[in-house]
Amino acid sequence: MAKIVILGAGISGHVAASHLRRKLSKQHEVVVVSPNSNYQWIPSNIWVGIGRMKAEQILFPLEPLYKKKNIGFKQAKAVSFHPEGDKEVTKPYVMVEYVKGEDKNTFEKVTYDFLINATGPKLAFDMTEGLEPGKNKAYSVCTYGHAEHAWHGLKELIEEVKKGKKAKILIGTGHAKSTCQGAAFEYILNVEQELRRHDVREMVEITWIANEYQLGDFGMDGMLLSYGSNIMRSNEMIEMIFEDRGINWIIGAAVNKIEDGLAHYETLDGEYKTETYDFAMLIPAFSGHGFKAYDKEDKDITEKLFKGFMIVDADYTPRPYEEWTVQDWPETYQNPSYKNIFAPGIAFAPPHAISKPRVSKNGTSISPAPPRTGMPSGITAKLVAENIVDIINGKKTLNHKGSMGNMGAACIASAGFGMTKGSGVSITTYPIVPDYVKYPDTQGRKLGKTFGEIGLAGHWLKLTLHYAFIYKAKMKPFWWLIPE
Amino acid sequence: MTQRISKTKRFIMMNPIIQFFKYIYLSIKILIVVAGGHGGTRKKV
Ligand SMILES: Cc1cc2nc3c(=O)[nH]c(=O)nc-3n(C[C@H](O)[C@H](O)[C@H](O)COP(=O)(O)OP(=O)(O)OC[C@H]3O[C@@H](n4cnc5c(N)ncnc54)[C@H](O)[C@@H]3O)c2cc1C
Repeated sequence: MAKIVILGAGISGHVAASHLRRKLSKQHEVVVVSPNSNYQWIPSNIWVGIGRMKAEQILFPLEPLYKKKNIGFKQAKAVSFHPEGDKEVTKPYVMVEYVKGEDKNTFEKVTYDFLINATGPKLAFDMTEGLEPGKNKAYSVCTYGHAEHAWHGLKELIEEVKKGKKAKILIGTGHAKSTCQGAAFEYILNVEQELRRHDVREMVEITWIANEYQLGDFGMDGMLLSYGSNIMRSNEMIEMIFEDRGINWIIGAAVNKIEDGLAHYETLDGEYKTETYDFAMLIPAFSGHGFKAYDKEDKDITEKLFKGFMIVDADYTPRPYEEWTVQDWPETYQNPSYKNIFAPGIAFAPPHAISKPRVSKNGTSISPAPPRTGMPSGITAKLVAENIVDIINGKKTLNHKGSMGNMGAACIASAGFGMTKGSGVSITTYPIVPDYVKYPDTQGRKLGKTFGEIGLAGHWLKLTLHYAFIYKAKMKPFWWLIPE
Repeated sequence: MTQRISKTKRFIMMNPIIQFFKYIYLSIKILIVVAGGHGGTRKKV
């Protein structure tokens, strides 16, 4: 009998738990530890942030589902890792702290045979002075709670504008090394459309601010894509959309301080500037959770498990950008020191960025960290689950592999909500990490599989994904037929 | 605001009938990219 403990119930943790439960017989135990009692479909937070969806539409409670499916659930957060156990407990364990109920603030040593760390990122608002969701008129849409809050802020502003106030909105990244530009991109287009719907668009100046060197970098070094019968660069496509929607942009910008209605930033040219706003939504830096790890003698072995995020089978040798290869990227998400520990989704430490690193004249590193979107998070979680099932069934090698250098991703960016007025920018990329050796003439990507489309169909697609993935997450009949 | 998308293009982008077919086309195309599989990148030693 094996016990598999999964830390986190986001896209990757929940995908891993559901596949393990489906494939393993009842004698094996699957336990999920997560501080949030709800599952949330994060991509739809964008619509909560413009008031077009209620938070309840994008979440559901995990405990009743897990009870029904025979998956253990502890509403707790992992605090420290003990992959060799300790003097009293011989099995490996994670120390968890309960966050709710009678056990709140009590600790438990949760032992395991296999551990999946799917704790995603820490939303590191503290890395930017003054950036805190809902403070200083700056908001976030990274969780459904933040998104609800953002909508209240935006609604208030729309009311004021209706009374004659001219306003400025600033949306983008809130740190020199932020990632998830795609989410901010969706939000800015949705906000722009909502302002038009409320008939106040001409009263509001909207500005995009980001750490990208070029528009459309998205932390992926941009891309060359087919758009209809043309071949276009992603920066040209996004520039076209922004100009058409009357959105200004500031790029190569490291936001470093937020005051009430004032964003301070440094540019790649080394200038220190400010931008005023009446409403802002800025994506914070994502960091590791700062977990500690100890061996059985209680000696600190954090560096064996973590490099900010969790160390997996990547090649972490520091090399200049020109020498990066897709082979640096992990394939099995297994920790090399402790083979029964895995980290899919955002929880693994990437070997390096995907976008070319850039430094300002003052020496500040200003470029996006590598994104790991929902699809790779789901795919990597599923392959980790499949490898664990194989090991339990006696296989000696890890046969399921999925490098981001050999994996496609679809990003359906909402560009406005509405069954007839909505829009979406559908972009697919293959591979996610550009392979400049395999595809030297097309910026590291395969053109037929890297394409962009704009239009109403994109909104319908995004809405279909919303319903399909919530259906899948609820583990309704044949949920496993829906691909990650 | 600079008009960067022509009226014809905008009509195509927002016409529900044309977009319905686009929706089917995109769903299949995306499925091909996604279900196209994934794997490692390193040579076996
Ligand atoms: C606003 C927004 C929009 C997005 N839109 C898209 C999109 O359209 N398409 C797309 O592909 N991707 C999108 N993404 C990215 C996508 O949401 C992420 O790739 C995905 O959520 C990553 O999954 P994950 O499970 O690795 O991490 P998360 O989803 O962050 O899950 C982490 C889990 O770990 C739990 N946890 C945290 N700390 C602990 C701890 N100490 N112990 C135990 N558990 C812990 C958390 O509660 C959570 O359940 C978007 C992201 C954002 C923020």
